[in-house]
Amino acid sequence: MAMFDRKGQIRIIESFLAIAVVFSAVLVSVTFPSAPDLSKQKSLASMGTQTLMTLDTNGTLGNLILQQNWTDIKTALDILLPTGISFNLTICDENGTTVNAEVIQNSNLLGREAVSVQYVCATRSQTVRFFVVRLQLAWMG
Amino acid sequence: MPSSSVDTFLASSVMILLALSAMVGTSKLMTPYLTDLAQRDDTGRFQHLASHLLLTTGTPANWGQITSSVPSSLGLAKVSAPQPYELDIDKVTRLNSENIYSLAYSELWQALGVKDASFHIEIRTLFQLSIELVSNSTQGSQSVYEFEITASKSGLPISTRLSSYVVLRDFVNETMSSTSSDGVGTFEIGIPNSVNGTALLLVFAQATVNPQMASLGTYSFGHNSDDPLPNGTFARLSPLDYVLNATLNYTTVEVSKAQVFTFSYNFSLSVRTQSIHTIEYSIPRLLDASPRVMVLTGVNGSTSFAEFVAYPQVPLQIGASFSESIAGSRIAVYRHTVAINSALYEIVTKWGGLSGDV
Repeated sequence: MAMFDRKGQIRIIESFLAIAVVFSAVLVSVTFPSAPDLSKQKSLASMGTQTLMTLDTNGTLGNLILQQNWTDIKTALDILLPTGISFNLTICDENGTTVNAEVIQNSNLLGREAVSVQYVCATRSQTVRFFVVRLQLAWMG
Repeated sequence: MPSSSVDTFLASSVMILLALSAMVGTSKLMTPYLTDLAQRDDTGRFQHLASHLLLTTGTPANWGQITSSVPSSLGLAKVSAPQPYELDIDKVTRLNSENIYSLAYSELWQALGVKDASFHIEIRTLFQLSIELVSNSTQGSQSVYEFEITASKSGLPISTRLSSYVVLRDFVNETMSSTSSDGVGTFEIGIPNSVNGTALLLVFAQATVNPQMASLGTYSFGHNSDDPLPNGTFARLSPLDYVLNATLNYTTVEVSKAQVFTFSYNFSLSVRTQSIHTIEYSIPRLLDASPRVMVLTGVNGSTSFAEFVAYPQVPLQIGASFSESIAGSRIAVYRHTVAINSALYEIVTKWGGLSGDV
C-alpha cells in the first residue's frame, strides 16, 4: 500500500516537472526576437534604384558628376525622392576613390535603419568614364 | 476508493491540464507571427502589383488610344518604351474622370484581375506652382498685372525657369522668367485695354537642374470684366490620341480659337471634324519635355471664356477610398517617378484589402 502511495506521489512530481519544462520553454520562446520586417527596406531600395535610373535617363547624372555640381545632384534628389526620406549619396570613381568633395545629403542618417543601393553610371562624354554611385536611404522619424 | 486510483486520477487530470495549456499557449503565441507572415506576404504582393501596373502595357497594348476599348488586363506602360517606368499619355489620360473617354474604377479593378485587392492611383507633377496676383495698374493703353510664382515641393523651394502665357480671346502674350533659390519669382504681363473678358494665365516651370522635372500652374482672372466662371462651364475638353474633343455645353457658344501651349511652343490647332455640339482638333506631337495645355477661347453671348485642359490630363486621382478603411488594416503605399512624353511625374499607388468601393 505504501509503495502505491509513493508511485502516485512520483507521478504528481513528474507532472509538475513537465509543467515547469513546458512553461519555461514557452517563456524562452517569447524572448526570441521575431524575424525582421524587410518589406520597408525593399521598398526603399527599389525607390532608390529607380530614382538613380531616372536621374541618369538622358545623361544628367553623369554630366553633373563630371561638372562636380554636387549642389544640383542634391537638388535633383530632393525633387525626385518623396519627403520624409533621408539620403546620403557617395560617388566613387573606377578605383573606388570618393570623388564628391562635398557631402551630398539632406539630413544625417546616424541612428536610422538605412538601406544602400549601388548604381554604375557611365558618362556620355567622348571619353567614357564610369562612376559607382552609392545611395543610402532611411525613413525620417 | 484505493489511494492509487486517486493518485492516477490526479495525475491524469494534471496531464490533461498540461496538454491543454500547452496547446492554448502555443496557439496564442503563434497567432501574431502567422498573421504577421501573412501580411508581410501581402506587402510583397502589393509591391509586385504596383510594379506590374507601371511596367506592363496591358491588353490590348494600345488600349489607351481605342476609345471604345476596356482593357482585359491593366497596365499603363507605353508600348516599346525605351526605358522602364515610361507611361502612355493616353492610358494615363483615360484614368481622369473629367475625360469623356475615362474608365470607371470598377472597369480598372476588373482589368487588374486581383479580386482580393483594391487600389488607388494618384498622378501629379513632381513639384507644385502657386500663382498670386500681386498688383494691377493701368499704364497708357494697357493694364499691367504683376504675378508672384512660388515653386516648391512640400515646402522645399525649387529653382526653376518659367514660361508664362496669357490668353484672352485672340490675344496671346508670352513672358520668360525664373524662380530663384528660394523658389519665388515675379513677372509682369501687359494686356491692352481694347480687349476685355476672361484672361487665362498659364505658367510652365522647368527645374534648372533638369528640364524634365516640369510643372504647370493656371490662373483665371477677369480683364476689365467680372470674375470668370469655373473651368468647364462652356465646354468639356477631352484630349485622347492627339485629338482634342470639345463638347460644347450650350448651343449659343461660339468658339473662336483652339491653341496648344508647352514650355517652349504654342500653336493654333486645326479643326478635324465639326458638328453642332462637338468640335475635334488635331494636336501636334511636340517633343518638348513639358506638360501641354490646350486652350479653347470664344464667347457665349456677351461672355468671353477661355476653357483649358492639360494633356496628359493630370493631376488625377482614381480608385478606392482608403480613408474609411478599418483601423489597423494595412495599406501599402508606393511612390514612383514616371516619364510621360519626356516630362517626369510622381505616381502614388495605394493598395489594400478589398473595400466596399468597387
